[in-house]
Amino acid sequence: MEVQKEAQRIMTLSVWKMYHSRMQRGGLRLHRSLQLSLVMRSARELYLSAKVEAHEPEVSLQPARSPDPRLHRPREAEAEAARLDGEQPSPEPMDTQEAPRAEEAPPRGGPRPAKVSRKRRSSSLSDGGDVGLVPSKKARLEEEEEEAAASPEVPDRLQPSPAQAEGAFPNLARVLQRRFSGLLNCSPAAPPTAPPACEAKPACRPADNMLNVLVRAVVAF
Amino acid sequence: MKCFSRYLPYIFRPPNTILSSSCHTEADIISTVEFNHTGELLATGDKGGRVVIFQREQESKNQIHRRGEYNVYSTFQSHEPEFDYLKSLEIEEKINKIRWLPQQNAAYFLLSTNDKTVKLWKVSERDKRPEGYNLKDEEGRLRDPATITTLRVPVLRPMDLMVEATPRRVFANAHTYHINSISVNSDYETYMSADDLRINLWNFEITNQSFNIVDIKPANMEELTEVITAAEFHPHHCNTFVYSSSKGTIRLCDMRASALCDRHTKFFEEPEDPSNRSFFSEIISSISDVKFSHSGRYIMTRDYLTVKVWDLNMENRPIETYQVHDYLRSKLCSLYENDCIFDKFECVWNGSDSVIMTGSYNNFFRMFDRNTKRDVTLEASRENSKPRAILKPRKVCVGGKRRKDEISVDSLDFSKKILHTAWHPSENIIAVAATNNLYIFQDKVN
Repeated sequence: MEVQKEAQRIMTLSVWKMYHSRMQRGGLRLHRSLQLSLVMRSARELYLSAKVEAHEPEVSLQPARSPDPRLHRPREAEAEAARLDGEQPSPEPMDTQEAPRAEEAPPRGGPRPAKVSRKRRSSSLSDGGDVGLVPSKKARLEEEEEEAAASPEVPDRLQPSPAQAEGAFPNLARVLQRRFSGLLNCSPAAPPTAPPACEAKPACRPADNMLNVLVRAVVAF
Repeated sequence: MKCFSRYLPYIFRPPNTILSSSCHTEADIISTVEFNHTGELLATGDKGGRVVIFQREQESKNQIHRRGEYNVYSTFQSHEPEFDYLKSLEIEEKINKIRWLPQQNAAYFLLSTNDKTVKLWKVSERDKRPEGYNLKDEEGRLRDPATITTLRVPVLRPMDLMVEATPRRVFANAHTYHINSISVNSDYETYMSADDLRINLWNFEITNQSFNIVDIKPANMEELTEVITAAEFHPHHCNTFVYSSSKGTIRLCDMRASALCDRHTKFFEEPEDPSNRSFFSEIISSISDVKFSHSGRYIMTRDYLTVKVWDLNMENRPIETYQVHDYLRSKLCSLYENDCIFDKFECVWNGSDSVIMTGSYNNFFRMFDRNTKRDVTLEASRENSKPRAILKPRKVCVGGKRRKDEISVDSLDFSKKILHTAWHPSENIIAVAATNNLYIFQDKVN
């Protein structure tokens, strides 16, 4: 519980620092951004592993929801991360979250390009908020997760359909802001008996994507 | 351990700004300090893009008490703020590094760099001026040719010493990322500049092109895991250089092996101690500075909590590790919150490579004697120093009962940090930059 809170606090802080670093003179610093991303990833892994351990007893009660128990993430943070990841299509076929997502949204499909064009990437991160051309599968998953989770602490006002609100590539600033506010409003409801994980769960691909997205956001400058 | 006395504190201030002792402008913060090869000159760069050069007074028998004082020799604006219109980004004028070239004639040459542009400056003295021109008068105004009836030969007459700095070369547009290091090669014909992902080799005479010798930018930036944090040429072997990374590794490269030195010749890395593994391990293991010893046999690296000395012949671990402020290990979370964990401390060797020095917080700086294994913590502070006073060693209380002259960890002022220090190449004179103040201390034994 404490571990989750601390990890969440670190994540929030890291996001804020990343957002704030964009305002600095001289622009984003690659090294600083990388370090922030590393801390954010560590915090996220710790947070998720602690949460997974806490929710493992609950998963056994809901087998029909999703084939992968790791997809049960009613937490705002994970939802935000998924949306953020959805900005940039992941080229990794091994992502277990990708597979069900692809199954759930075949009309959006077609092979996603492994490398998104630079122009599109930068426009997606600009303040113009251009509507992207590739829909966000992760955003859809987030909606379904929210529907399935029935978590009481997820305010509806913070979860507009990304496809409706901003297109598939919401600009980084707004996403970070949403994530920031989302993390602030999220209150963990994990049972207090969950001990902190001694080692992280197997590599969470979304975490890597988040890291990569943030790094890419940096590189776009 | 020799005792260092406060000889005279030099409070660096721009002449047109009135500052109190407690406040200063952002532009006055010193960002780099460097002695030249003889130690006669000391250059400082600040966030406002200015370079101030101090010169040591010649010792004279008449003024025995003013032996070897450093006085301001020259001040000039090296870099101005610029704007990258393509990326809509401002380019800071802050001087990241200054490196002197060895003196080859009466003039002095130095390299100064901000995030994007390296400049070669010539600092020369003028103590004579020509007088007696035919076509212009003494004020420089053109004379009416009709009034010229005789011809005369201009002569050189003494004038008040004037030190002028002129930019001789501007090396621009070669770095996409922020320059963190420059290093002059021992051949004195080339130098390198390093940014987060690339290292370029320049010739002093050629400004419109450079050779890229290291490029660690991945094809897919999603795979970026480390950046270059510092780089330096070997002091004697012009083909060898090292660069450090944010992962705590050092790579030594030989330019004779290939044109692009992406494959290192030696790779220095210490296995991480699992007991020290923490949430911020990756950040604190990032190397902020790397320096060759004067002998060229060793390299010294600084990460957030330690200074390490490596033997070039042993890659698997450092030969010496010194704890700078290990009491901060339990405070990493707070230091992350206030951004102090990202501070980049530098480290320096003394002339004989027997003592190493680095900065810390609360205006403390630390010295480690490699032979006796003794260390000392000193403070750069006007309040605690009087003329000719010997700097009293300071001690940080990490727990238990605090003694009278100790300071507790919680009382440390993290806004007062010493990131930049320099050591005279041959004497025990040190320059310590504390925010906007420059302190010069000298060994009283001399």
